Amino acid sequence: MSIPPPSVSSVKLAFAVAWAGFWTGFPLKMVAFLLLLAAQVHPWEGAGLAALLALSVPIDIWAVGLTARTVFLERLSVEVKGPVGLPLWGQGAALGVVMLGVAYYVVGASVGVGKTVAAAIIGLIKRVYPKLPIAEQITIELLLWTIPVVLVSVVLALVWLQLFGWRIKAFLVANGETSPAGLLERVRSWDHARVPADPWLVLGSIAGVAVLLTVAFWVFLPATTPHPHPDYPLTEVAKPKKPVKPDELLKKTETTLAKAEAILNTLEEEKEKAAKGTKKPERKGK
Amino acid sequence: MNGVAQKIYDFVDERIGLKTLEAKMMNEPIRGGSRWAYVFGSVLLFIFIMQAVTGILLMFYYIPSVDHAYASTQFIIHEVDYGWFILSYHFWGSSAMVVMVFAHMSQVFLWGAYKKPREMIWLVGLALFGLVMAFGFTGYLLPWDQRAYWATTVGVEIMDKTPIVGDFIARFLKGGPTPGQMTLSRFFVIHVMILPAALMGLAGLHLFFFRSAGPAGPFRGTTEELKAKTDFFFPRQVWKDIVAMAVVFLTICSLALIEPVQLLEEARPDPGDYHPEPEWYFLFLFQLLRWKIFFGEFGQFVAATAIPALFMLLLAALPFIDRSPERNIFKRPIALVSWAVVMIGILVLTVSAILNREFLD
Repeated sequence: MSIPPPSVSSVKLAFAVAWAGFWTGFPLKMVAFLLLLAAQVHPWEGAGLAALLALSVPIDIWAVGLTARTVFLERLSVEVKGPVGLPLWGQGAALGVVMLGVAYYVVGASVGVGKTVAAAIIGLIKRVYPKLPIAEQITIELLLWTIPVVLVSVVLALVWLQLFGWRIKAFLVANGETSPAGLLERVRSWDHARVPADPWLVLGSIAGVAVLLTVAFWVFLPATTPHPHPDYPLTEVAKPKKPVKPDELLKKTETTLAKAEAILNTLEEEKEKAAKGTKKPERKGK
Repeated sequence: MNGVAQKIYDFVDERIGLKTLEAKMMNEPIRGGSRWAYVFGSVLLFIFIMQAVTGILLMFYYIPSVDHAYASTQFIIHEVDYGWFILSYHFWGSSAMVVMVFAHMSQVFLWGAYKKPREMIWLVGLALFGLVMAFGFTGYLLPWDQRAYWATTVGVEIMDKTPIVGDFIARFLKGGPTPGQMTLSRFFVIHVMILPAALMGLAGLHLFFFRSAGPAGPFRGTTEELKAKTDFFFPRQVWKDIVAMAVVFLTICSLALIEPVQLLEEARPDPGDYHPEPEWYFLFLFQLLRWKIFFGEFGQFVAATAIPALFMLLLAALPFIDRSPERNIFKRPIALVSWAVVMIGILVLTVSAILNREFLD
């Protein structure tokens, strides 16, 4: 069970797996992120971060496995019988930890050097042209230090992709089998494998989970703002109470009662008139 | 479908031809199969619907008068149950709409999907882009705090620099020498009546043109590959659209929770310590206006009006200038470089405007 190394470039292969894997797991992680936020637990620190990481690892393993199998089958015509997600995710994560550590220092250093060099160049420009306006200075300075930093970051990302791509290729050589199916068959067979037998059950389950998560979200969400502005709070405008004047109040009540009595009398008179009016005269026969 | 659902479906189908409608809506063939790159249009429609829903909810409490706009917005934030969240969602939703419009336009541009026979879709899309920007501009004033008041003042001043019609537009929008009740009323009416109606009409036209011309499909791949992967709109593209909508929804909700709307002081004609500036998606233009080469009446006109107008005219004329049938972006180097320059330019100027705040402070 061995295949020759795929001819596709390592960077392209790693990017295809990692990019699709990231976006496959992202929505699920976002749900957890939002629920933590709604419950007022910061997902970027302490227990929130720990919970999010604990949830992210299995999601990523599943996502990498799913997308890697798809890439292998559709682009390389290779099938892997055993587990894919865990071994690839493990290698990608280990490389990622190393590269992030390197990036922390390298990018940090390039930001520092870039800013110093940019400031020196601005100083030189100001010697020649002392009236350099602030808006132009900001943009020139920004470009001067961000361009090298972006380039360094891109190179580091490419190094990680190259290394991860090598590991993927080695994994394929050891575990892959060439699929005998043609392109059409491969695309369709993989489709059918992913389409469930009962789509209504799947849709119902997804809808049910969505409803459950929505309810949980609204239960967690604070009813009033948890972030009142410290400088501009809601100003309570107290309504001035009207002073009570007993004489006026009595007069007003008497007038209202008199009006009500007059209306009542009018209504009774109208009722009597109506009663008289309804008595029809007897018809005379021919 | 179970028995009852099937009966209801059959009842409706018998009366309005649901099956035909469903076939038209869902069974559209997508050349080369479904793609994540095609989700932006659907996501934009989703964001607009959510903006309409949250906007209507806000209107239950908002009072469009200079005496009550600020207080009613404060009331929404502090007193109405979940009002702070709905308002913050609406606020971040408008930003998401601008981002998505840029993403959608970029995808269409890079895929060469504006080329014959899709010129009309592109032109209507440009008009929709203008409407989205107008939505953001008019909605920004409504809370009537210092940020809203001065962003509008700056925006109207930029418009005022347009020759011939600029003065009229500025006077029409302000309704007086300084922003006041007339301005608020007009912005409110434009925001909740005119723009939604225009957007619904144009979006319908956009979709109609799109369905008439059909999706452009991928710009590379052999005929055999494209044929093998060709799929109907349902279920795979629908699924991708739903996932993309969910991601956007979750992102907007997260932003609303992380950075909810907080009002500054009530609007007044004196900026005080506040440095007036427009919304973030106009910041690049605002920063451009700060450049010394654009100082003076003529310079301001060039930066605020001539350059954006020429750029929009160029975009409108694009399908008629670029007549080559080649759609592969890697074989259209001028298009690729132009797109990159514009995007990097906008990004750099926006960041510069943010950094500029430190100097002003």
